[in-house]
Amino acid sequence: MSSDGNADARAADKERRRIKSTEAMRDLMVKYYTEAKAAEGTDKHIAWITSGAPVEPLIAFDVIPVYPENHGAMCGAAHMNVELCEAAEARGFSRDLCSYARGDIGSALTKGGPIGGLPRPTFLIACNNICNTVFKWYEELSRFFGVPLFIYDTPFVRGELPAHIADYSLRQMKEYISFLEKTTNKEYDEQHFVEVAAKSLFASGLWAEVLACNQHRPAPMTCFDAFIMMAPIVTLRGTQEVVDFYQGLLAEMRERVEQGIGILPSERYRVLWDNIPVWYELRNLGRLFLELETCLVADTYTSAWTFEDVDPSDPLGSMSKIYAEVYLNINLERMADKIESLAARFDVDGMIMHSNRSCKPYSLGQYDLAKEFTRRTGKPTLVIEADHTDSRWYNRAEVETRIRDFVENLLGGGVGL
Amino acid sequence: MDVQATVEECLELWRNPYPQLARLREEGERPVAFFCSYTPEEILHAAGLTPVRLMGAVRTITHADAHLQPYCCSLARTDLDMALAGELGFLEGEVFVQTCDTMMRLSDIWRRNAGLSFHGDLVLPIRMGEEISLPFIVEEVRRFRKQVESFIGREIWDDAIEESMHVYNRNRRLAERLYGLRRENPGILDGLSATACLVAGFWMRRDKHNELLHELVEELGKGRISQEERVPLLVSGSVCTMPDLPELLLELGADMVDDDLCCGHRYFDAFADESVSPEEALAKRMWERVNCPAKHQCIEDRAERLMRQVGDCGAKGVVFYLQSFCEPHLFDIPYLRGRLQEELGVPSLVLESELQSFSRGQLRTRLQAFIETIRGV
Repeated sequence: MSSDGNADARAADKERRRIKSTEAMRDLMVKYYTEAKAAEGTDKHIAWITSGAPVEPLIAFDVIPVYPENHGAMCGAAHMNVELCEAAEARGFSRDLCSYARGDIGSALTKGGPIGGLPRPTFLIACNNICNTVFKWYEELSRFFGVPLFIYDTPFVRGELPAHIADYSLRQMKEYISFLEKTTNKEYDEQHFVEVAAKSLFASGLWAEVLACNQHRPAPMTCFDAFIMMAPIVTLRGTQEVVDFYQGLLAEMRERVEQGIGILPSERYRVLWDNIPVWYELRNLGRLFLELETCLVADTYTSAWTFEDVDPSDPLGSMSKIYAEVYLNINLERMADKIESLAARFDVDGMIMHSNRSCKPYSLGQYDLAKEFTRRTGKPTLVIEADHTDSRWYNRAEVETRIRDFVENLLGGGVGL
Repeated sequence: MDVQATVEECLELWRNPYPQLARLREEGERPVAFFCSYTPEEILHAAGLTPVRLMGAVRTITHADAHLQPYCCSLARTDLDMALAGELGFLEGEVFVQTCDTMMRLSDIWRRNAGLSFHGDLVLPIRMGEEISLPFIVEEVRRFRKQVESFIGREIWDDAIEESMHVYNRNRRLAERLYGLRRENPGILDGLSATACLVAGFWMRRDKHNELLHELVEELGKGRISQEERVPLLVSGSVCTMPDLPELLLELGADMVDDDLCCGHRYFDAFADESVSPEEALAKRMWERVNCPAKHQCIEDRAERLMRQVGDCGAKGVVFYLQSFCEPHLFDIPYLRGRLQEELGVPSLVLESELQSFSRGQLRTRLQAFIETIRGV
């Protein structure tokens, strides 16, 4: 075969493996950001909200939700977050603060970043189920923009969800609704809320099924794809468009599974990823794992938006329980149960943990979790040091060498520590 | 009472409380460690345990690095290091309160690795001071009481907790009197000595500390007032593991005339209401006391409070003394500094504490420059 023929065959193979729903996702997100930006200065309400907060009430009240964390990921992937962080640091914000928060404050100050900053909020919603950084960050935003802040407080859960936390959560869910009634001058329409909640739960179910497709060998996508594909479930769950999008994505994934189309040309090892992505390094790390024939088949991050145990007759109660027990708001033993179950379901050979300087609740405890994971599964683990969007803390050569060593020696040897 | 001798003893304790804690155990007491000023010490006290506070230590980390990344505060790292090195064997256990993300995770790590008999957890909301969270805290205090009861193997009687609340309330009143005397009579006792006498209470039975504070305030009423001109400063932050900061201020001709510290003014704020049930009283006190920056600022604005405090004590500058990597404090810094400067014209200095690489020389240089600037103004 001629070299042209080879190149053609490679291109065709690459095209066959490419996930086609990426375009639909991009269109959806562009439309979302365009509409959100266009709403600035109109009588439409815009709320900035944390990624783990209940967004369904906002959708039900026709408020546009805007996610600084999603924007931070975008700025990180576009290699623009460091300059935004520097703008915040020049104002006295410590380099030791979360880089999502610094970048966001920097973007509010300078209107910098790939989309020229986020539209100005009319109010703010922060839920500390993902970290306690968010409410300090949002207090600062509240002072900066001079807009109200609603805190949805989720005390840490050890073991089973205790009744007094469930009660406190439900009381706040009701208070949240009253806050929205007051801020938007609209009345709560329970019927509408139930529809929104049903769509949200349905979409999150679809998302769970999309992720589950990776149980198949070869895996139809890597978790790096999932990091990109999760944007709609984070930002727009509760809307019909998101349901439509994930139905399309699920159909594509199932087709890939049926036809045996893997995301990698060759899949030798299957690895579980822990923590938020290293956004500015997705491309390089993607290339490295391709070369090492290693597929990141599952992760603890994207599955945070898959909801279980929902009682349709009690949407507020169910919702408040779900938001109280997200992955980062539970004790280490429960986290270990979760990674053990992911490892079994996705049949992984080992785990790579991103020790993320910007995220203490996700990272502190990883050393103990790694040991526990190996004890329970017999599989090896690797901890790499980075920061989700501040590349100044990242040493590419060192991380890549460690990943290579891990894959070639530990996964290759197949022996647990 | 010889005030100077008492201050010296307290200072010695502050510099190294650990031998004293081991002695407590030898004398038959049952020390239980706590870290956070929200800990309902009264319940432990009523159970016959002696709550003692761990505030870190200046040391090189040898064991904790296997469990904690270097980007969390040195309080967490050095405390855990001591526990893993087997240096805290005099403790019967520990109590963790949910304040920041680091303490939340440290609780699990400590429980899994330190191997002490008792482990207590108290989970707190961040929305302190708002009606919506009070029933939650009351229930949480009840659960905490049960954890302690199950450890000691018997019930803790309500009247025992009431007596302990009385002891701790008396302690708070005495601390308040000490601060009041200093405010009304500048020069009566310097900030180093006052804080030493206050923090000494973390490492002895509260009843004994009450006697100490009582005698101290009685003596101060009769004492000589120093006429030395010192630059009055307020120190804001979490805890001072070592007395170096207030000590250096004195050496450099300044004084900590008031503080916004977790081992100082914030520790003894608000009283437990002795007329309601113990759980309600203890819950309500932590709910209405001055907030830790790790709590949502819904009761009052921290800047308003700090500015009022600066005005009341006549401080000419504010020193923020923080743990490196402490997000709750670090987030507030630009805002607090901005308002102090713009509204009061009060300058401030930010110092970070890293116990595993503590440098008194560096601290001194920065304080000296700051104090000189204020003097120049």
